[in-house]
Amino acid sequence: MEAMAAGAEAAPKRFCAVYFPYGIVQRKEGTEFAEWNWFPEGEGLDFRFRRSHAALEPLRDELTMLGGLSHPKGRKMGGHDTADNWLTGAELKEGHLDNTISLDQLLADRFGEQTRFSSLTLSTDGGVGEPTRASTLSFSRTGQPIPAENKPRLVFDRLFGVNSDSLSRQRQQLRNSGSMLDLVLEHSRSLRGQLGQVDQRKLDEYLTAVRQIELRVERSERWLDVPKPTVDASGLHLDADDSTPRELMQTMYDLLFLAFQTDSTRYATYQLGNMNGATSIAGKFPQLLGMADSMHTLAHDARKGDAGAEPLGRWTGFLTEQLAYFLRRLRETNEGDGSLLDNTIVLFGSSNSQTHVNENYPLVLAGGQAAGLRHGRYLRFGDEVPLANLFVTLLQRCGAESEGFADSSGELSAILA
Amino acid sequence: MKALIRAGLLLATASAGLWAAESFETSVRPVLQQRCVMCHGEAIANAGVRLDTLSGDLAGDRRAAETWHDVLNALNRGEMPPRGAPALSDDERRAVVDWVTEELRRTAAARRANGGEVALRRLNRVEYQNTLRDLLGLDVDYVRNLPPDERSREGFANNGAALRMSALQLEYYLQAARSGLARAIVEGPAPPVFAHHSEETVQDKDANILWSNRLGRNGAFVARVPEFPDEGEFVLRIRARAELPTPDSAYPRMEVTLGYRADTQTPSKRVAVVDVEGGAAQTFEFRGRIEEFPLQSRTQSKYPGLLVWARNVYSDGKPAPEGRKVQEQADGKTVTHWKWDEDPTFPSIVVESFDFKAPVYVSWPPEHHRRLVPATPASPAEEGSAARAALRGFLPRAYRRPLRDEDVATSMRYFELLRPSAGSFERTLRDVFAMALVSPDFLYQVETRPNDHKGLSDHELASRLSYFLWSTTPDDELRALADAGRLHQPEVLRAETVRLLRDDRSRAFVEQFCDGWLDLNGVDRVAVNPTYFPDFDPTLKADMRQETRSLFAEVLRNDLSALTLLRADFTMLNESLARHYGLRGPRGGAFERVALDGKRPGGLLGQGSVLLANSTGEDSHPIERGVWVRRALLDDPPPPPPPAVPNLDASEDSELLPLKVQLERHRDSAACAQCHRSIDPWGVALEGLDAVGLVRDTILRRSGEREERHPVDAAAVLPDGTHVDGVNDLIDYLHDQRPNDFARALTAKLLSYALGRSLELDDEQEVDALTERFAEGGYRLPHLITMIVAGDPFQGR
Repeated sequence: MEAMAAGAEAAPKRFCAVYFPYGIVQRKEGTEFAEWNWFPEGEGLDFRFRRSHAALEPLRDELTMLGGLSHPKGRKMGGHDTADNWLTGAELKEGHLDNTISLDQLLADRFGEQTRFSSLTLSTDGGVGEPTRASTLSFSRTGQPIPAENKPRLVFDRLFGVNSDSLSRQRQQLRNSGSMLDLVLEHSRSLRGQLGQVDQRKLDEYLTAVRQIELRVERSERWLDVPKPTVDASGLHLDADDSTPRELMQTMYDLLFLAFQTDSTRYATYQLGNMNGATSIAGKFPQLLGMADSMHTLAHDARKGDAGAEPLGRWTGFLTEQLAYFLRRLRETNEGDGSLLDNTIVLFGSSNSQTHVNENYPLVLAGGQAAGLRHGRYLRFGDEVPLANLFVTLLQRCGAESEGFADSSGELSAILA
Repeated sequence: MKALIRAGLLLATASAGLWAAESFETSVRPVLQQRCVMCHGEAIANAGVRLDTLSGDLAGDRRAAETWHDVLNALNRGEMPPRGAPALSDDERRAVVDWVTEELRRTAAARRANGGEVALRRLNRVEYQNTLRDLLGLDVDYVRNLPPDERSREGFANNGAALRMSALQLEYYLQAARSGLARAIVEGPAPPVFAHHSEETVQDKDANILWSNRLGRNGAFVARVPEFPDEGEFVLRIRARAELPTPDSAYPRMEVTLGYRADTQTPSKRVAVVDVEGGAAQTFEFRGRIEEFPLQSRTQSKYPGLLVWARNVYSDGKPAPEGRKVQEQADGKTVTHWKWDEDPTFPSIVVESFDFKAPVYVSWPPEHHRRLVPATPASPAEEGSAARAALRGFLPRAYRRPLRDEDVATSMRYFELLRPSAGSFERTLRDVFAMALVSPDFLYQVETRPNDHKGLSDHELASRLSYFLWSTTPDDELRALADAGRLHQPEVLRAETVRLLRDDRSRAFVEQFCDGWLDLNGVDRVAVNPTYFPDFDPTLKADMRQETRSLFAEVLRNDLSALTLLRADFTMLNESLARHYGLRGPRGGAFERVALDGKRPGGLLGQGSVLLANSTGEDSHPIERGVWVRRALLDDPPPPPPPAVPNLDASEDSELLPLKVQLERHRDSAACAQCHRSIDPWGVALEGLDAVGLVRDTILRRSGEREERHPVDAAAVLPDGTHVDGVNDLIDYLHDQRPNDFARALTAKLLSYALGRSLELDDEQEVDALTERFAEGGYRLPHLITMIVAGDPFQGR
């Protein structure tokens, strides 16, 4: 493994964020339906998981349940608008739909050079979606959405696909691509002067994309001599799609795991369904798994009455089972003195506690104990604590000097040992 | 002189602005304060609208202008003040309406003087696919890896502002261009051709499949082609006849699939599906590119050869019987094999022969190669001039404009740089062409803004027209007219619009426009619950989408009134969808006009696609249906839900109640009533149609083991006070009372699609004028399309 080759150096610190839309169950404590609640009973070390988190019980000492956190600016936004800023903390409103950099991309900008791929962006819907209904969690330094991949085979080919050409031929091809892109840039600049102002901004988006590929080409050339890791593809459902949600999610988690294990990248995001109830292809996943309703309706019904608690709780239970599968794979793999999970911080959750409610985000923080995180607790915070404080501490734990992120007001040292 | 006039205009605008501000304070603000602010103010801001702080400066505040526009609409439709509140006096109403109308008009005029905004428009997936197909002369899948496109708030995937570019996107464009060109430009001598003929299916006694030349409820005909090329076009010829149980039965449908990969378990991929009509045997011909199908590795020992499958995919809704194991004595030994029962009531296919040939080409190099590379250099010295000749032919077509000097020069620099290491002339040329295909001139619909003239050039106009009606690049005829500078002439443009509409390629317009306008992809978002609808075959979703597109196409092609889309006594069906609806329809897979005879509602509100897309997969969803009616048919989308909807508690039994009853409980809550009163009735009127679009008298609800049936109650009061009971009432209401609102909605959507951008306030007058003429002309779609093309916004004036 490339990471191990680093020898005595400390194992790299990784970050992975997984998002689901619409929220969770919050019924009145003391009723039987509270058993389907997301948030545990009790607090601190002394807490008890509810039914939908049963799969996480064996991983209790590897994770922390977080309550009360949210982005203050998200609270001012529409109920379905906040997937876009889950990792950015920006405020998006009509007329001002510009986002800012996401946590994963800040890390990728800082340290992404050290791996073959600076980051990995996945989602069920793919592409970027539209502002306030993004189908990606990642945004660049200039707030541009980074398109997510949603086809397992494409992700696999990108990470582990082998080019059968000789090295010198591959090098020549990369150099040719570099020259091609130089000429394209030159040619496009001459076009720019003939365009109106709005068009020029669109063309700038294109020019940025060309420059980014140029950088990728240069990077590929640097990595040419390092053979791509070989991984065992058996058991991967690379042709899974939105008609088989279980296989699709599991395979995406497998790919995230393999990407981290082989140190192909250290930063990744995965969005499970976007907040566009009207268009997300993931909306029907619960029904395909034999549950009663679409994601959006399950969340809505859970607000209407007690009868809605169990159906949504079961869906959440499915999501946490999948998460547990991913965490177990990370934990079962040794790295340095500990496990891969010890060096990987996983943030799992949503920006809706209930549908249309953008506060008290349901969040699970797992792994990263080698980075100083302390687990086995349910921590509750007041709404004066911005979620960005957590991001500041995570940045620091991943090795980035950071004094602030978005609207942070400090750090969140409570998560540390 | 011009500057002087403009200065005068500015002065006039400024003084008009002063006058407007005064009139706002004296005559409008008092009305708002007294009559509106109690529900649209600081304490309560229904629908998120506050009229106490709303700016009266429409020209300076675009958001405010749009809210004022909503205010005007609410007043004009009589929706505000709401029922129960005292109406505005005539003077009050006129003060507000006159002021808003005048301000909107003035704002629009001022904006136009600043020049309308357009956004450089990237080709979307469909346009990219069609454009490469036409440019390279090869119909292969170019867009498999491209990420999905962004849609505009109107639902269209051709909106320049919404469509983004990113490194990932561009990387896939380069990949697609390179792999397409590697096939379009060939090198070397003509490849060997492989052919195979068989008359009997291959057999494999181990498999639980009935291998047979006869394809009934069970059965697969399989041909194994021993030798085949790795790439190139193939042709399959299958001779088959139908055996019908009765002379008027449905036709069996033959699905042909090709390939199989054992190592990755990739199943065979569909080549085509055809109806096999009764009568004598016919020969069916299928073509495709062999490299687009899953092929097993040649080193694989278990399945040598290429497998081609023919199956009968006709379905009458009954499941195919499983095979059973039978033991028989043969030569003194007990042999176990599978048996299936034949069903004489099922329309069957008998395959008589199978032929395979690949690669097929009329000449070598093939036609598509010769179009791209007109001259093959005989010696290295001729390569430069041969490359230039190829570029001079290719670049104007790729860039959709006349050649500029630097175009060929830039490409030739890359050619010379690449040639020493590329190995051959053809390989070099492929990558030089690929460079053009990742240039902005190809990937975007570029419209330059020269200072000396207004409006689009003829070539830009050709592109707009071609992408509007064909979703692809202009053809030779359009390009020739643009080259000659004649396309902008009104009579020429009109004739071309009609020609494009009549051409089969306008199917792309029908599909793209209908999918966006009516949100037909919605059927894929809903999972139909099999416990509620055990007989629902998921392939019906595609049929439903096609029904709606075909209805629109029928109205367009026959120049029918567009109001037929609201109320029709026919719909467009194929055999399987007609059976789903319980109607007698065509015998095969093609969509044909079917009279409804009052058995189900006609028009868009009777479409399975619309009804299913706006359902839960178990029951109707009156809210979503209501939102759909307002958005698609009236262009009056309700505001999005507020940031924090208060909690609503329903009883535990609510699951057993029809959604409509649950909704009524919600509407009783004051917090939700305001918005939902104007959303839900539109959907409630459709309660007589279930989640999969079937007419119903009772509504089935289940909760655990319990099951209840409720009578349908489709009575609703529309926001203007009209009582409707059921879908036909709603159809009559829309058709008879609101034809112009529907026509205006359709016009606005069509204009937005044609321009590839969202409409703004400035466009309101254009939409009004178009709608008026559209109505005067009897609501004919070709008329409307011709007017849009002839109009100032489309021509960039």
